[in-house]
Parts: sequence; structure tokens; C-alpha cells
Amino acid sequence: MLAIARSEVTQIVRNRLVLVTGLVIPVAVSGYVVHQHEVFSGLGSLGYVAAIVMFTVLAFGLYTTAVTTMASRRQNLFLKRLRSTAASDASILVGLVAPATVIALVQAVAIMVVLGAVATEPARVPLLALAVLASTAMMVALALATAGLTSSPEHAQVTTLPVSLSVVAVASWVGISGTEQLGLLKRLLPGGSATELVVDAWNGGVPLADSLPLLAPTLGWVVVAAALASRLFRWEPRR
Amino acid sequence: MSDTPVIEVDGLTVTYGAFVAVRDLSFGVQRGELYALLGTNGAGKTSTLEVVEGHRRATSGTVRIFGASPQDRRAVRPRTGIMLQESGFSPDLTVRESVGLIGSLSGRRDDIDRVLAIAGLSRKVDTLVSQLSGGEKRRLDFATAVYGGPELVILDEPTTGLDIQSRDALWAAVGRLRDEGSTVVLTTHYLEEAQQRADRIGLMHQGTLRREGTVAELTQTLPSVISFGLPPGAPEPPTVGALNGGFRIETFHLQDDLHRLLVWARDHGVELQQLEAGPTRLDDVFRALDAA
Repeated sequence: MLAIARSEVTQIVRNRLVLVTGLVIPVAVSGYVVHQHEVFSGLGSLGYVAAIVMFTVLAFGLYTTAVTTMASRRQNLFLKRLRSTAASDASILVGLVAPATVIALVQAVAIMVVLGAVATEPARVPLLALAVLASTAMMVALALATAGLTSSPEHAQVTTLPVSLSVVAVASWVGISGTEQLGLLKRLLPGGSATELVVDAWNGGVPLADSLPLLAPTLGWVVVAAALASRLFRWEPRR
Repeated sequence: MSDTPVIEVDGLTVTYGAFVAVRDLSFGVQRGELYALLGTNGAGKTSTLEVVEGHRRATSGTVRIFGASPQDRRAVRPRTGIMLQESGFSPDLTVRESVGLIGSLSGRRDDIDRVLAIAGLSRKVDTLVSQLSGGEKRRLDFATAVYGGPELVILDEPTTGLDIQSRDALWAAVGRLRDEGSTVVLTTHYLEEAQQRADRIGLMHQGTLRREGTVAELTQTLPSVISFGLPPGAPEPPTVGALNGGFRIETFHLQDDLHRLLVWARDHGVELQQLEAGPTRLDDVFRALDAA
């Protein structure tokens, strides 16, 4: 697994397209949001700004990169090559997505630290960490499922749009309008409950017992996406 | 050679929807043997090999490698080197990084420089895979297959795209592996390679194993061929059939009939043109299969 992850880091560094989409764009967009946090927090709250930053990084830095990576590795038969070794399927997948996941987590945490420094620090850091980790797991699982529907890296530019735009849109919807109305729908949509959790964790004022159940829908999406991935994911191109 | 088969295929059937690619296939490969699985296009050898490699599940039947399921990678892969039909390397990694990665995941240990020397890639260690030629990529594939001297080496069309020198080097390396006791399974479109090197050959056609045996066993059912041409005005030669403007003798007694033809030519003062004589080749066995 570590050997695969190391080789992925090497490939990310050598591939400018992945480097730009995976590193520069999320950081640039998130940096802009942080810079304009007063404008954005005027729309919702500082927790909303944190949620938007998190999902921008996870959608474009992790999800899109992971789908593109797996489609590319499948297309050039690298996945088949890896499966010709003694490595297990699980260790291959973990090795492939681990670098993008770690990079996205570092980005999200770094931007949130900056946001906390320039504005107000989050009220409940452990809860915020839980929200970030659950959201990361959801986006990785969704990436595995989407990769099953994606035939090439070029195709990934299309297949990743619905999920990546949806989670950012849902985060905005929930972050700006709250969950007083259509609460069930908003919480069940991918990213909805995670956004509410981030808002609660950053802004504070909500009892922990009320916030923790918000993890359930996000973890539910992890299960659903993993089940879809187990049916959809392919190791070789269709013949 | 031990009697314990390295590969046991029993009643293997592989289907894709309604299409039956392999039907009730059974064969075994003994330790130390070089077994060539040959077939016409669409004969089912790639599907068979993919099940043996563990890349595909059998629809029915069983396949055992070293007594274990091919899907049991921990048990099988450290003992098996696989040269895939197509490259499957990341274009953004160098030759050394590619061999290092696949080698480290193989469960075997080896010196990367030694392996690259065997594959003739010593001058390309720091070259990106994207900058390799097709033949060099095949050699890289071979390097990862022989990394660590596996007990079983599966070579799927290993010499396709290789020049003569590279082919010779590859077969020399395979010969050394065999000297060390490795078992080799081979598919190839170059029948002369199988004819020269295989201990036994399995001939597949339309999803089934039609013939199996040594080259001598496979070719003994078909006659050898003597072909030649005659100058204008030459008398009719003995016991021949005309073919494409020349003459062709099919015989199970090559030496006797060739001797008789040469004696006849000398006695009649005839110079035989483009004379060729030889044992039955696998090509002929193949054509006979296809025509059957």
C-alpha cells in the first residue's frame, strides 16, 4: 500500500494537470472564500464559510482527482498490472486514493486554521474534525462509485460534475438557509448534514447530543456509495 | 520433473453473457515444463489465461495454481510472475520506479539493476515509461515478470513487437529461468517459437482444447511436405501432385521419398528448382484444425 501511495505522489508531482486541478484550484478558490469571509459569513455564518471551503477542497481536490486517477490507471491497465501482484484489492485502492486524501485533508485543515486566525476560532474543534473526516470518507466512497461509471480521464470531467457541484450547492443551501425548513430533505442530501455539523461545530450554541446524530446521514452516504462502488467499480476497461 | 502439477485446469468454462469463450477445458502443467497454449484468434486462450492469472473468475470448473485458487494472491503471486499481453505501466514513472514498484508488490526480492540487465533495459533506467518504444515496454513487462525468479512464469505473447536481438535475449533469459527450475506457460502467435521451445503444446480452437502433446505428437498425424519446381521440358516426376505451378509431395516417409526424388532428378539430368523439404510444422497442424 505504501509503495503504491509513494508512486502516486510521484505521479501527481509529475502530472501538471492533476497538480493544478488537485492542488492549485481548490486552494485558490478556498483562499478567495477565506479572504472574502465577511461577505460570505454575511450570507450565512462563519461555519458556512468553513463548510464551503471544506466541500470545495473535498469536491475538486479529492473527489475529482480520485475519479480521474482511477479512470486513468484503469485505462492504461495500471490497475490490472497492480492486480497481477500479491497486493490485495483493498490495499491497491487505499494506496491510490491515500495521497489525494491526505493532500485534501491538509489543505482543508490549513485553510480552516487560516480562517480561524483571521476571523473567529471554531467552538468545537473535535466535532469539526469528525465532520471533516466523515465528509472525506463520503467523498472517497462517492469517488470509487463514480469511477465505475467513468471510462477515461477525459470522461471524468463530465461524470464528476453532478456530485462535485451538488455537494457545494447543498452546502450553500444548508449554510445560508439553515434546516428549519425542509430539514429532512436537506440533511439527507449528500453534504447537507455534514454542512450543518460544520456550522454547529464552528458557531457553537447547539448541544452536542443534537449535533452528533448529524453524522448518521453522512456515514449513510458512505455505506450507499461503497455498496454502489462494489457493484460498479471495474479494474479493467470494457472490451 | 515432479508429478505434482503446477497448474491444474479442470472443466473450465468461461462465458460472457450468452457467448461461450471457453468450454469444458482441462489441462495440467507440470513443474519445470514449458507449456505453450496456442490457438486461432478468438480460440479462448486469453480468457483461459486470465482465469489462470486470477484476473477473471471461471463461470464453472476449477483452476488451481500450486494447489491454491488463482484468486488467492497471497498464496499464488509471490511464486508467479506474469507478463501481460499489454503493458499496463504508468507513463509518469521511470523504468526503475516501475520495476521497483511492481517488484516490491510481488512478494519476491531481487536486485532491480540485475533484472533490468536481463531485460536489456540498463540504459533506460531513468527513462519515463511514456518515452519507451513498444518493444522496450514489452521488455519492461518481462522484467517485472521475472523479478525475483518466480517458480511459475506466465508469458502472454512475450515477443510481440520485439526485434530479433531482443527476442533472442528474452528466450535466453527464459532458458536460464528454466535451468533454475521455473515452470513457464506461454501464448504466442509465433508458432516457430513454440515449436522450438515448448515441451508440450495445447491447441485451442473455438473455446475447446482440440489437441495436446509434444511437437512430435502433434505433427505426426500430418504428412511432411517436399516442394519443388521443374525446368521446361522436364519429364514428369514420380508420385507428386501439382500445386501453384510447382510440385508438392506429401509423405509420412520424408527421408525415403526425398531420396527417391533426388535419385530420379540425377538419373534424368533434371535440376530441381526451389527445392524445400521438411517435417510437418505447427502451422500445418493449425491449418488442419481450422479447416476441420
